[in-house]
Amino acid sequence: MASSGKSLAGSRPSFLGARVPSAVETMAQHLQELDRDTFRKLLKVVVSALEGKDCRESVKLILETSTLSEEQLTFLISGMYSLLQEALRLPMSTLKQEAFKEDLKDLRIPEDFITDFASLIFGNRRTVLEAAVQKRGIQLPGLEDFRWRVDVAISTSSLARALQPSILMQLKLSDKTSHRFEVPVAKFHELRYNVALILKEMNDLEKRSILKIQD
Amino acid sequence: MAELDSSKSLSALLNGIAQCTYFSNPEISEEFLQQELYPQLSPHEFRALMDKMRGVFKSIVSADMDLNQLEAFLTAQTKKQGGITEEQARVIAKFWKNHKTNIRESLITQSRWDNSLKTINWRVDLKSQSRDMDLGNTPVAIAEIELGKNGQESEFLCLEFDEPKINYILKKLSEAEKSITALTHTS
Repeated sequence: MASSGKSLAGSRPSFLGARVPSAVETMAQHLQELDRDTFRKLLKVVVSALEGKDCRESVKLILETSTLSEEQLTFLISGMYSLLQEALRLPMSTLKQEAFKEDLKDLRIPEDFITDFASLIFGNRRTVLEAAVQKRGIQLPGLEDFRWRVDVAISTSSLARALQPSILMQLKLSDKTSHRFEVPVAKFHELRYNVALILKEMNDLEKRSILKIQD
Repeated sequence: MAELDSSKSLSALLNGIAQCTYFSNPEISEEFLQQELYPQLSPHEFRALMDKMRGVFKSIVSADMDLNQLEAFLTAQTKKQGGITEEQARVIAKFWKNHKTNIRESLITQSRWDNSLKTINWRVDLKSQSRDMDLGNTPVAIAEIELGKNGQESEFLCLEFDEPKINYILKKLSEAEKSITALTHTS
């Protein structure tokens, strides 16, 4: 276990991993002489960066208005970024607020800053940050809307009495495309069977507790 | 010509008519049928036979006759002036019994112009980690859906669904099924 990663209980590993990233350690050292106002400004910049916004201008502004050197600023920003990124990787069910605070305390991060970090990770902002992170992930398009209509062909150019039901389906996808297609009755039953089977498989998978890491 | 041979030839002719009219088989032509099945007939005679069979068959197909209707219709045809012989009626009846479902299916497909669902392949994965996020071991279904028109290249959709979405789709499909059942049972 890394020197600053020791927790009081000794048994629980830090959320940052057994070896705390050096960027975070260096940041913790530089935080000691930082005033809360500048810290909050930096935090704001880092959050925007996590949300995928361009923050070069705001960083330049901080550099001009504060007493920090460019090197100090770099250490602080990259450390805060890594810390928040790691914390956001873990679902809230795994990372508890108390443990998070404790881990930061072990890094000798000042109390006030711990409060600010915690309110960011466990507060309202989390949903926005999570959504931004999720957007950056790889994902196949998903379903947004699903509509259906059952038609019965009464008569066609070659069949006087067709009376054949078929289902017209429309899928609207998250990539903003939409697809319309017909499904013959036999295919429809096949589709329904398969969807039910998928659901069953998913439920079975969730029941297998071996795959879940319990706290 | 022995009766057996003539019914064989007629059955083959009906098959030829079905192939080119209902299954759009481009390899079957009128000349080909005559050469292979009725070389002894003059083109004129052959054409008359072909037109007659085609007409009778078209009525049967179009009305999608069941066995009772078929029997009544064929009996009427044998009694009609210039109609068909009883032997021909027997061959037609046998042929229709065997091919009714396929022909109907093919005709229904012919009047389907939208893309239709051809195949669906799927697998269930467990999401675990990504670069920016621990994905909490949630199951996800990946499905490949093939959509296409007959004789045209298919389009493949690859989608992913979480469990609530699959539940939602299943609910919608059950609604649709209820509607289909209601329709097929009243009609």
